[in-house]
Amino acid sequence: MHDVMYFLQQLINGLTVGSAYALIAIGYTMVYGIIGMINFAHGEIYMIGAYVSLIVITGLAVTSPAWIPLVLLVALICAIIVSSSMGWAVERIAYRPVRGQHRLIPLISAIGMSIFLQNYVHLAQGSRNIGFPLLIEGGISLGGSGGGFQANLSYMQLTIFIVTLVCMTGLSLFISRSKTGRACRAVSQDLKMSSLLGIDTNRIIAATFVIGAALAAVAGLLLGMYYGSIDPLFGFIAGLKAFTAAVLGGIGSIPGAMLGGLVLGVAESFTSGYLSGEYKDVVSFGLLILILLFRPTGLLGKPEVEKI
Amino acid sequence: MKIKLNKLVVGVGASLAVMAAGAANADIKIGIAGPMTGPVAQYGDMEFSGARMAIEQINANGGVMGEKLVAVEQDDVCDPKQAVTVANNMVNEGVRFVVGHLCSSSTQPASDIYEDEGVLMITPASTSPAITDRGYELVFRTIGLDSMQGPVAGNYIASLKPERVAVIHDKQQYGEGIASAVKSTLEDDGINVVMYEGITAGQKDFSSLVTKLKQANVDFVYYGGYHPELGLILRQAQQAGLDAQFMGPEGVGNKDINTIAGDAAEGLLVTLPPSFDQKAENQKLVKAFQDKGEDPSGPFVLTSYAAVQLIADGIEKADSKDPYEVAAALREGTFDTPIGEVQYDQSGDLKSFDFVVYKWHSDGSKTPVK
Repeated sequence: MHDVMYFLQQLINGLTVGSAYALIAIGYTMVYGIIGMINFAHGEIYMIGAYVSLIVITGLAVTSPAWIPLVLLVALICAIIVSSSMGWAVERIAYRPVRGQHRLIPLISAIGMSIFLQNYVHLAQGSRNIGFPLLIEGGISLGGSGGGFQANLSYMQLTIFIVTLVCMTGLSLFISRSKTGRACRAVSQDLKMSSLLGIDTNRIIAATFVIGAALAAVAGLLLGMYYGSIDPLFGFIAGLKAFTAAVLGGIGSIPGAMLGGLVLGVAESFTSGYLSGEYKDVVSFGLLILILLFRPTGLLGKPEVEKI
Repeated sequence: MKIKLNKLVVGVGASLAVMAAGAANADIKIGIAGPMTGPVAQYGDMEFSGARMAIEQINANGGVMGEKLVAVEQDDVCDPKQAVTVANNMVNEGVRFVVGHLCSSSTQPASDIYEDEGVLMITPASTSPAITDRGYELVFRTIGLDSMQGPVAGNYIASLKPERVAVIHDKQQYGEGIASAVKSTLEDDGINVVMYEGITAGQKDFSSLVTKLKQANVDFVYYGGYHPELGLILRQAQQAGLDAQFMGPEGVGNKDINTIAGDAAEGLLVTLPPSFDQKAENQKLVKAFQDKGEDPSGPFVLTSYAAVQLIADGIEKADSKDPYEVAAALREGTFDTPIGEVQYDQSGDLKSFDFVVYKWHSDGSKTPVK
């Protein structure tokens, strides 16, 4: 029983972080699916989402617990608005002018954008770690009473699961049902052909950036609060992990990004839980290498068909 | 290309002008190197504040050998790569005396350059023993060593008689060094160390680690590293309901840990250099800091002040601005500084330095426990 509870707790820890990785990974995978480039500035969008929500939460300075859901909602909306605008602006300024050129050029532009945004926050907010207040406290104790190890599912973790689930379901419905979603799929299959058929591809590409950025902002708020502190480098490591998750799941595939995120989160958690925290990154990146060796398209990716 | 060439000419011209200006007045340049930005900039503030005050006061009292001290400040972000660049910049600027660096992992590579280029350096904060055990002539410090701090922490932990201890570190020179010193002291004292593990600096998610600590049923956790990580560990441990006493070295003892950990920082044990600002003979100096609106209570403020003062006293005593002669003078003499009477051994370490165990509070204050 003892070991089962320990396993369960590590699973919960892994799934929590994994959900957030998945939310960020969506942004990488959607952009790649549509224009075939890696948006390296995506991690910074996530970091900005976290900063904006912290600024809003601190600014509202609400102490009464009754208002907390409202505060979180306002913070979430502000973070989404700012991050989405950033995502849109990044695409408009740094990627659209160089789109259609050699694929290295947008990549370099993306890295430049990432460095710019990181340093912008450095200057605007300072480089120190800033504490993020925990507004969702408490939790549910799982497993039997009476001594021994008890698994604990905190309300914060529960919130992360639920929000991720809602976002993912919403996104899936949006992609499969809505008109814009259909256009997204069409553009990802063949950009030139869909523009010939009357789809405004520029608008669709901008939309993918906005959607990706909005999900990253959600992740920024959730993870900022879950971890407890943010700094301007916050997005870099998370972005790297989410990118790994996207590749793991099959870059370009939305369900792949979700699965990749969860697999990566759980793998990390079990490595630190059963082996040692020192090997956490070794295992997650080792996993990536293995998957790329034996399944180069990732877990759920489809092999690319050469278009004639 | 043309534009680039023009810029180059302007750049060279400007640096020539700077060099000419440097040669014209006979000031003594004191390099101050430490993090102005980055996650541990808080410590850099202490260093710069202490060193600036010393330079100001020495200049107000007529300078050194009739010459004024001039600060040359550089930001190493506590990054070893940046520290090397900073060290080279210092050498290029003609600095012969440096106060810094701060983080051991920055001081180590920078000290190679200073030693090779004949620059005397005094670190006010780096506690890694490796820095002074290479037989360097020009490397000094105004702080103790991990090998002194580790046993102080280890023996204190042993006196509490915990049943199961975990020792965690951040895999960096400073953190791992001190953690291993604590571990070996604990083992010598017959205390059961059930876990010894590294984390990655910059990591944010410690839920797995906390779960593991809980599973291992530890009642005492020692962390070797800096406050950004320990702050998060404390906070996440509190959330997960881990009931253990935490302890860390002076790298965790600053007010930033409170903004990260909040209430969870209450009761944290920290080994720190003694509060030099509480000493009666330093009250005039403390007042001078307060008049400037600065806080002299940080662990590295007065060690940095002392470092500048030692350079000044060393120059006076050697009656020379040659770093080698100053180094020899420092090894010979006894100097009266705000951190007490200073004597150096051959390796450039202080002959005696005490670390004290403090209890940290959630409002950022601290009280000595022994």
